[in-house]
Amino acid sequence: MRRILALIACGTLAACAHGPSSAPTAPVAGGRVGYVRMDDLVKKHPLFGQLAQYDTNIQALSLSSLVPTVLTQSPRLAAEEARLQAQLEAAGKRTDALLAAKGKSYQDRENAAIAAALRGADVPPGASVGAIQSQMEGTAHAQAAGAGAQAERDLDTYRKQLEAQDTAQLKAAQQSLEARADRTYHAKIDELNSKESALTLLEANADAAERLSLRTKLSSLALDEAARDDANKQLAALDRKEADVEGALHNTDMQALAAFEAQLRTQVQNDMRTQVAQIRARSIQRYHEREAQLRGQFGPANGPLIATAPGGKVTVNPNLPPALRQRIQQLHADYSQAFQNDAKQTIADFNKTRTDLTQRYALLTGTDAAAAQSAQLEIRSLEKKRADLYQQMVAQISREVKVVAQERGVSTVVSTVAPAGGVDLTADAMKDIETLHE
Amino acid sequence: MKTLRIASRTAALTALALVLAFAPAAQADQAPDIGFVDQAALSSIPAFTAAKQQLDAFGGNLQKEYIARARGASQAEQQRLSAEFQQKIGDKQRSVLGPIFARAQVAIASVASSKNLSVVVDKQIVIVGGVDITSAVRDLLTGVGEPVPPVNTPPPSTVGYVDQQQIDAVPSIKAAAADFAKFKATQDQAAAAKFKNAKTPAERDAIMKDYQKALTDKQNQTLKPLVDKTTAAMASVAQKRGLTLVVDRGNVIYGGTDITSDVTSALK
Repeated sequence: MRRILALIACGTLAACAHGPSSAPTAPVAGGRVGYVRMDDLVKKHPLFGQLAQYDTNIQALSLSSLVPTVLTQSPRLAAEEARLQAQLEAAGKRTDALLAAKGKSYQDRENAAIAAALRGADVPPGASVGAIQSQMEGTAHAQAAGAGAQAERDLDTYRKQLEAQDTAQLKAAQQSLEARADRTYHAKIDELNSKESALTLLEANADAAERLSLRTKLSSLALDEAARDDANKQLAALDRKEADVEGALHNTDMQALAAFEAQLRTQVQNDMRTQVAQIRARSIQRYHEREAQLRGQFGPANGPLIATAPGGKVTVNPNLPPALRQRIQQLHADYSQAFQNDAKQTIADFNKTRTDLTQRYALLTGTDAAAAQSAQLEIRSLEKKRADLYQQMVAQISREVKVVAQERGVSTVVSTVAPAGGVDLTADAMKDIETLHE
Repeated sequence: MKTLRIASRTAALTALALVLAFAPAAQADQAPDIGFVDQAALSSIPAFTAAKQQLDAFGGNLQKEYIARARGASQAEQQRLSAEFQQKIGDKQRSVLGPIFARAQVAIASVASSKNLSVVVDKQIVIVGGVDITSAVRDLLTGVGEPVPPVNTPPPSTVGYVDQQQIDAVPSIKAAAADFAKFKATQDQAAAAKFKNAKTPAERDAIMKDYQKALTDKQNQTLKPLVDKTTAAMASVAQKRGLTLVVDRGNVIYGGTDITSDVTSALK
């Protein structure tokens, strides 16, 4: 007997545990547990459009390439910088080669002069040291002209680089200014939308009790025609009142938004003009500086008549008069020193140019980083606004769900992920939420 | 005969006691067996705030170190550093928060057991009813001594839960999610490139509209059928196991009935 009763008990237990879930209103023994699908209800809320707009704005900001990952340099900028570095290094090598050629030419001239001096006795009549020097100087001029032409080409390359950088900087500045204006504009829209949403919510809450009372009255079958008309008119009056208040605020907001947009546009134009002027002025100044340096470096050189023996030992024609020999030695010392300075200066100039350009690109990267930081702040602000709005919506939905639960005799309601044996209140709550649209 | 009647009555009473003990939902109307905790309120207890401060300080220092090391590093090196950074943060979180969470878990289990609750969920998902045990848990956590774990395991519950991470690991879902992620990455790049050249807000709006439409279409094509299938599988399992509710595992703090393996089996 015990065994049978125990089996019955188990059967009862099983029946309790496996309550009929196909019927959505299946009561749980001794009480009723219900559920709602909150995501579905949120989508029906009157402010869902506003919520979706926040999502769109956040998505748009995240998409813009102005939001790089932490500390990750823009690949575009890195590639651009690498390209520039390569160009500069190539130009540096060209300069070194030029200087080496120039040095060699002087060396040749000196050797030739020594040879001429040593051949003094063999030199044909009329071929004086002055004539030899003149001939050597002609060669030097030709070589200097070659170096100058290369300098011109380098200058032209530098000008083109500056132009490309200016264009890139201007484009980046324009994008940054436009993005900033766009964000400001959207922030203004969000602010106005929030105000309008808050007003809508306030109006809906203020009228909720009156609406519910009127709807309850209308659902009464015993209501006579006159009373029904009257209730309908009152509902319509409520709708009109809400629409008027919201419409008035919306119109004011639209005017404010138009004025704000015009103001932003003017501001962007002014900022852009300033940027253009600054970038152009800086580039022109750098170009002139570089031009002056190159012209100084590659100007025509007046080479002295002197020779240096292999190993660096300076030898002067012993047959020359002492005064001329000393003069040649002095010229050789001066020229050697000048040549070394020239070479050092040329390399230093290229290094300086490279540093300048790297700094300019670092500035560009910095502009992007600042823009990214600003965008991230904006995203965080939008996310907070979205969370606040979502909380408001959920709170209002919860109030509606509580009313529905009370009507259906459900004591516990939970937001779930899938239908189960509890009472599904989603549809009823949805109807109530939809009345908020009216 | 009398002995038999006494025996029958005793058996009946035992059976009734069993029914009452193993059917918590039977008491739901008067004393519902669903408890909830306001986790946000619990996070303000001194142990958690101190842990948070400790983690903030650690994270700040680590970030400075990371910035210094990442400056000028190649992209691959930056990625490696980022992974190392995340690993260190994760380890620290586990070492600092782990014991506190474990203690909170014991406190929740203790309170739930004393109130005969078969499940404790996060307050966020409870709209009506339920038993709020936040203050009792808070008192246990801030009181003197360690909370004592309950002797018994949680009673069977009609509240089921699923572990979304395990469901996401089902091959068909994983493949669809990967497909969508790949598609989204392509769309992100394309939209970002268009954004750079867009000059007016109207152009940007149009780009966003196209971008969102492409994602929604793809989502409807690849993910939605699987989501619907998963929901149907959860509903079917819930019906078979007589569950009244199915919630996400992330919202269950104590007890409940895990139906994840049933659902994943149904999906395979």
